[in-house]
Amino acid sequence: MTASLFHDQVIAILPKLRVQALALTRNRTAAEDLVQDAVCNALAAQQSFIPGTNFGAWMHRILRNRFISDLRKKRETTDIDDAPQSMLAVAARHDDRLSLMELDAALARLPDDQREALVLGVLEGMSYQELAEMSGCAVGTAKSRVFRARRQLEVWLTGEESVSDAGDRKKGERVQAGAAKKNSGAQRVSSRMSAAVV
Amino acid sequence: MGKSMDGAPPRKGRQSRDQAFDVWLKRGLHQLFDDVVNEPVPEELLKLIEEDRSKQD
Repeated sequence: MTASLFHDQVIAILPKLRVQALALTRNRTAAEDLVQDAVCNALAAQQSFIPGTNFGAWMHRILRNRFISDLRKKRETTDIDDAPQSMLAVAARHDDRLSLMELDAALARLPDDQREALVLGVLEGMSYQELAEMSGCAVGTAKSRVFRARRQLEVWLTGEESVSDAGDRKKGERVQAGAAKKNSGAQRVSSRMSAAVV
Repeated sequence: MGKSMDGAPPRKGRQSRDQAFDVWLKRGLHQLFDDVVNEPVPEELLKLIEEDRSKQD
């Protein structure tokens, strides 16, 4: 691969790296820093990229490793912050904003690896194979992360479980689901779900 | 059938509810993340990449 093509690919993948970084950090400023650090690492390691292999997976893996490395250094959890602020500025209906805030808060409660897999899978259309390559795990693990993230969000936000969960749900989750359904947030999300499919 | 009789929602209803949740989730994620994706790339970052490109050429 020529140096020029390599750099073109780095620039082209920046939007996806931003999504991944925001999914991991939950903080816009931290996400920008993470993307920049990952790009620096990639530029420094460009000779190690093997042409013909998956550039996207290579680049996402660098960003992910950088995030994990930074997290270990900091030894503290990331916080929820300004991610929803931009959303709040959007002229959306009151209920829409509230249900989006609930979605954002629920996303923040997910484990980092599940949130990352769900966001990249749903928004970027990454396959389980690509998610597995990116995170260095088995395809089944990547699939499980997306599945669990989606299931957990559904339980938290609507109090309902998906069809595929109905057979193997646990008692604790059932109790949680029942409690969630009673809260107004769950009703609001359910209401917006109905509107979403109209 | 038993599930429907004891009050649980029928499977078909659950499936459509799952689909509705998926649509809502996708739309919500787009609303939360799209503006970040659409922001212009910081000049500083582009400069960094272009400088490295020049060094490699």
